[in-house]
Amino acid sequence: MEPRFRSRSFKRIETSLPGGNNVLHYRRKGVAKAHCSTCGVPLSGVPTGKKGDIAKLSKTEKRPERPYGGVLCSRCAKENIKVKSRL
Amino acid sequence: MSAIIAGRVCVKTAGREASKYCVITDVIDDYFVEITGPKALTGMKRKKCNISHIEPTADILKIKAKATDDDILKAIDTAKLTDKMKAGLKL
Repeated sequence: MEPRFRSRSFKRIETSLPGGNNVLHYRRKGVAKAHCSTCGVPLSGVPTGKKGDIAKLSKTEKRPERPYGGVLCSRCAKENIKVKSRL
Repeated sequence: MSAIIAGRVCVKTAGREASKYCVITDVIDDYFVEITGPKALTGMKRKKCNISHIEPTADILKIKAKATDDDILKAIDTAKLTDKMKAGLKL
């Protein structure tokens, strides 16, 4: 086994080959979706993918154009504004 | 006295202009009103808006329904709200 595969950052995939014997294949793990920092729901309008692919996107494709866009979900952002407007 | 009447100063809670102040110029029906920033003050154009996307505040301006932006600007000056509305809501 190659040294780099000894870590858990690679997923182990059991594959059976046409010849009948079984082999372990290794693949990188998926990237997690962005989540709202208050209620933890997955964020809409925020792309998921490798860092390199996201870096190529334009600024407005990386997060919504709302205050706290990309940090709070639309419901928590609206609640936040309502509370602050009543102070 | 319902809060959603012409002249009411509100805060937009959804969309690109969230946390910006706006003024209700006309009530269209139970769900929609016409709001304006005015554009010169807050950059928000005159548009139709769902009432669930705005949050009324305590201030009311003395203006007629469908008033022009200039009249609204004058009313904002007399009510001494210009700086507050220009700055927008501090989040």
